Amino acid sequence: MSKEARPSWDSPMQFVLACVSYAVGLGNVWRFPYLCQMHGGGGFLIPYLLMLFLEGIPLFCMELAIGQKMRLGSIGAWTAISPYLGGLGIASVVTSMYLCLYYNVINAWSFWYLFHSFQSVLPWAECPVNANRTGYLEECEVASPTQYFFYRETLNISSSIDENGGLHMGQALCLLLAWIIVYLFIVRGVKSTGMVVYFTATFPYVVLFIYLIRGVTLHGAWNGVKYMFTPKLEQLANPQTWINAATQIFFSLGLGFGSLIAFSSYNHHNNDFEKQAVVISLINSGTSVFASVVTFSIYGFKATFNYESCLERMRLLCLNAFDLSEESISAENVTAWISHLNITHPERFAAIASKIEHCSLEAELDTAVEGTGLAFIVYSEAIKNMPLSQLWSVLYFIMLLLLGMGSMLGNVTAIITPLADIKLLTRFLSSESINGLVCLLCLLLGFGFTSRSGSYWFTIFNEYAATLSLLFIVFIEVISVCYIYGLRRFERDIEDMLGHRPNWYWKVMWAVVSPLLLFSLFIFYIINYIQGGTPTYQAWDKDLVRSGSGAI
Amino acid sequence: MLAGVLLLIFLPPLVAKDLCKDSQDGFKVRLSIKTGLGDDAYEWNESEMFLFRSTLAYAMRKHSNQDTYTIDNILVCNDTQRVSFVFVVTSTDDPDQLIPKEQVELAVRQNKHRINNAFLLSDMTLEFMGIPPTLSAPIIYDTEPWLIVFGVVIGAVAVGIVALLMSTVSKKRRAKEKAAGLSEEDEGIVKENGTALSSLGRKEGVYNQAFSNDDRFTKL
Repeated sequence: MSKEARPSWDSPMQFVLACVSYAVGLGNVWRFPYLCQMHGGGGFLIPYLLMLFLEGIPLFCMELAIGQKMRLGSIGAWTAISPYLGGLGIASVVTSMYLCLYYNVINAWSFWYLFHSFQSVLPWAECPVNANRTGYLEECEVASPTQYFFYRETLNISSSIDENGGLHMGQALCLLLAWIIVYLFIVRGVKSTGMVVYFTATFPYVVLFIYLIRGVTLHGAWNGVKYMFTPKLEQLANPQTWINAATQIFFSLGLGFGSLIAFSSYNHHNNDFEKQAVVISLINSGTSVFASVVTFSIYGFKATFNYESCLERMRLLCLNAFDLSEESISAENVTAWISHLNITHPERFAAIASKIEHCSLEAELDTAVEGTGLAFIVYSEAIKNMPLSQLWSVLYFIMLLLLGMGSMLGNVTAIITPLADIKLLTRFLSSESINGLVCLLCLLLGFGFTSRSGSYWFTIFNEYAATLSLLFIVFIEVISVCYIYGLRRFERDIEDMLGHRPNWYWKVMWAVVSPLLLFSLFIFYIINYIQGGTPTYQAWDKDLVRSGSGAI
Repeated sequence: MLAGVLLLIFLPPLVAKDLCKDSQDGFKVRLSIKTGLGDDAYEWNESEMFLFRSTLAYAMRKHSNQDTYTIDNILVCNDTQRVSFVFVVTSTDDPDQLIPKEQVELAVRQNKHRINNAFLLSDMTLEFMGIPPTLSAPIIYDTEPWLIVFGVVIGAVAVGIVALLMSTVSKKRRAKEKAAGLSEEDEGIVKENGTALSSLGRKEGVYNQAFSNDDRFTKL
């Protein structure tokens, strides 16, 4: 009787690229710059790097070690550590399942935007005209063209989570495409995934680099970069800063999903995972900082553009109200003129007083956005103002797609690897069929996110599906390895694989520091939930035409 | 006598000014030449005003299909530094009668494109207060461009998947045929030393679990 040897990566480089592709995802682009801005710019790097060394690298290394040692997916690996811990593996698989369901919707949105970039005028650059062609649609006038395109044309969003609406056919098609591509990437397991990660791991850096050059040469970009890097060290006194740094490191590395265990289970027994763990974690954090430089130059450009448009609007307002010649007021002396006119002609000024806005570059830069709002609204607003906007749009959304797809690969691998280990299944179905069934199931369930209220469901899943569970899972993981399996046994296994024992840094982190950190984060989250009351969400009401809050 | 002649000479412009200033049928026009053209901006002077009045007369001609409108039918007043002024249109039959506001509005809306182009301006920079601009109609595609790109991508991916699956199926079929083929050959081969060495040719060796490296179970 022959036993098929476990498939493996063609080279350690493939494994490293797969982990990089998985860890470097959308969170590096849309969450880290926001945190940087909220918590004192350059100063945020201090807690961030500290947490990287206290919990990020040790936990990452631990998961790689487990996978490489046990050579099974998460369920099999934890069952091998202790038969009572199989549930930990199942928890990882279920969390990965949740993530797969809603994460691919982001890829669907990226596809939608990508396909819509192939037009002479980007559809989010201008508002559509109204029925009798006298002006623009009201919903679009009150909001902005980019917001209108995202909420109305991309999502066709309903006004609350209770109103289901139908499916958005365009979104459903894009989601179908996204899942077909994921299937194409994982159909042969690590053989196909290994080929793909060469591209998904490296091309985003090419695009980020191109965007860096484009970004810093934009007018006003320097305002944004300067704003980001001026450290406001008083933020370090705020405990929220440290908590956010810890959670960002934790979620950014993708711990607890079982993907790392799955990836490293295909490694050669003597692969040097320790060095790779350090390298991958540093690459992940470095990418976050790199992406935030790009994001802040884009912010600076957008803020400067808005500020100058505001000044221009005020200038025209004054010129028109007082019938002054066009050369009399320029963008520089608008504010001086406004105060002058207020003093000299108070009655006429009072007529336009309601329309006067206070233009401030600081205020524009202060508007910090994260998440899908940053990726799809702020960035596309900046892109539409760049020359050759179609090219930049295509590049940007391809980058988003690659980042998202790379992370999806890891999450789907986390599901199919334990399934492939189940002998009962592999006897009746080939691995291609199992992979296909998983993708089909996720696609069918994922259609719910393409309905008109789908974005609200997305928000629920994004905020609650994985966060608390992952903290708990990884906490139990590290406790099991250190105290149930035994730190000494783990040390011997590592010596067996690498040829040397882990040094004191690893042991202290695994046994003491990381569990303490994770436990305190977990307690903090629980307290937050209890104190938070009924969770609320932001809804887009077409009639009120601005975002209001609704309760779940 | 002289006074009467003088009055007769100066009356029409005075009356004309009154027609323009006090009327309800006038429109305020505003030009933002510097904003619209930047360095290529031209000076606003009497000749430009003449051009404006003639384009308006042209618009009235086109709208009413009467070739009788001339530049004298367009009266202008309240000229400011901003380059904004009020104009009214007098009827061709009776110089004291004004064309109603709605007619003028229709005429302007119909020909706004031509008026804009005469001044190298746009709807934003040449404004008629109270007349909403006619924006260009949205382009209607037979097939939306995004569907075309989508079709291309999903077609390519589908081809890729089918190709991969076909290659897997054909590989399995070839392996099965080889196994079937070899098992027929086996019966013809003389077994030397009692071991079927020829069976080793089937795969890359047989996996011997005694030398397994997998420490899946904890050491005793």
